[in-house]
Amino acid sequence: MDFLGDGLRRAVHLLLSGDAEVLGITLLTLKVALLATTCACALGIPAGFVLASRPFWGRRAALTVVNTALAFPTVVVGLLLFGVLSRHGPLGELGWLYTWQAIVVADVLLALPIAAALSAAAVQGVDPRIRRTAETLGASPWRAAWTVAREARFGLAAVVTAAFGQSVAEVGAALIVGGNIRGQTRTLTTAVALHTAQGDFGMALALGLILLLLALLVNVALQALQGGGRA
Amino acid sequence: MLELRGVRHRYEGRTVLDLEQFVVPRGALVAIVGPNGSGKSTLLRLLALLERPSVGAVWLDGQPARHTAVWRRRVTLVEQRPILFRGTVRDNLGYGLTARGLRRAAVDSKLEAIAERLAIASLLGRQRRELSEGEIQRVAVARALALEPEVLLLDEPVSSADRAATQQLYHALAAERDRGRTICLASHQLEDAYRWSDDLRALAEGRLAPVTPENLFRVDIPDGPAGATRHVRVGPLEIAVATDRAGAAILAVAPSDMFLSREPLPSSARNVFSGRVTRLVRPRPGLVHVTADVGVELVAAVTEEGVRELGLAPGEPVTYAFKASAVRVF
Repeated sequence: MDFLGDGLRRAVHLLLSGDAEVLGITLLTLKVALLATTCACALGIPAGFVLASRPFWGRRAALTVVNTALAFPTVVVGLLLFGVLSRHGPLGELGWLYTWQAIVVADVLLALPIAAALSAAAVQGVDPRIRRTAETLGASPWRAAWTVAREARFGLAAVVTAAFGQSVAEVGAALIVGGNIRGQTRTLTTAVALHTAQGDFGMALALGLILLLLALLVNVALQALQGGGRA
Repeated sequence: MLELRGVRHRYEGRTVLDLEQFVVPRGALVAIVGPNGSGKSTLLRLLALLERPSVGAVWLDGQPARHTAVWRRRVTLVEQRPILFRGTVRDNLGYGLTARGLRRAAVDSKLEAIAERLAIASLLGRQRRELSEGEIQRVAVARALALEPEVLLLDEPVSSADRAATQQLYHALAAERDRGRTICLASHQLEDAYRWSDDLRALAEGRLAPVTPENLFRVDIPDGPAGATRHVRVGPLEIAVATDRAGAAILAVAPSDMFLSREPLPSSARNVFSGRVTRLVRPRPGLVHVTADVGVELVAAVTEEGVRELGLAPGEPVTYAFKASAVRVF
């Protein structure tokens, strides 16, 4: 148990001393996770609305694809993306392999099915009379969708939380396409993996604590945005 | 003006509505009556352009209607169990007006006027969770009326209202009709539908029923031994019904199954009720619908000759009789 105690002491010291490397890793992690969450939600929430709102040809197949993608192993996504972004891959010219942009793309691919599936479930949970009423009162399709979204706000907030959770905690794909390069693509999770392997538990624990703190802060912020849960 | 042509509508392989033609004329107050599951709500949703019929089309002013917001703004539906959006009653009343691009001041003045007319001004600041079912229903009607649609559709608009609120609402609807608004409502309450509408249609199993829908009563049939005649309370009356069913049901007696006399006559009919004639209506030449108040309103179909022979006129005494087997149970 000694290593835990030592680790905690080291973690507190690192956090309080404002270590430049820890700060850099934290800021990069936050940037990558927020950008990936924004992209995943911007694409996934409308997709969830479409899947949940009206029957269309191929809807069942689309739902199956989304639900299957939920269980996609992250290292496999990393591997496929590695192939796509590598020099001879279809998107090799972008030169994104081993950059933070590659980690964002991997995180978006992993968070997108979560955002789509959870928003479809949230929209399906809204009383169908809400959309009908909005439509009969003359709302445009956009206004009707916004009205449904307001009723599904708790479910949609959970979508953002889950997408952020997926992005901030991603390690497998981030290691493969990011390469864990110090000062460039090292995120909190890849740094924790590295320092644990090197036996530097203090550093690993400090970074782990920051990761938990980030998740906590995002949840608190989202709850505050929901306005205390009033109907 | 609003019309269904050749409409057949199916849910999960079952035909729930089959209407060759259904017309709601401009400026009329049309009532649709019929038991639960007869297709009234589906009919209203099709008329409101909220659902597309499996076969056939909805026509508005001689043009096939499109299922877009622009067309829907001409027809507004108040559902049987209306739902309010998140926010206050004021937010709800202003919803459709804002959707039409009205400015804040115009929205406020319109919604305050309608709230005054439907006596809900005191509710404007309340949240939806602070309202009773009856209040929600009134707010939903006001929310639709505020839009001044060409056609207003209402599905059981008074199912949660008390008697006073019901009369107030029907007065408001009649006033709207007098201003030229077209109204079509579905109701279980025959008495009110008959009193307030210009045109009464009956729906049974998705089709227009061949019988006129007079003498429909929503009742609770008591349990009893199989084969025995049940006695069912309808207002102050006790009606004998030949049925083995129990529980909630709709009773219907065709006006042509009613026998009329000035005095009670010896007959095998189990249901004999006396009262006074309230009005005579001639739906077509030679036929008279005689309505009398015998505790509830009953309607009998009589020939002109019969009316003359019995000396039937408003205020005259009359006795209605019908057999227990003439009462149909839905």
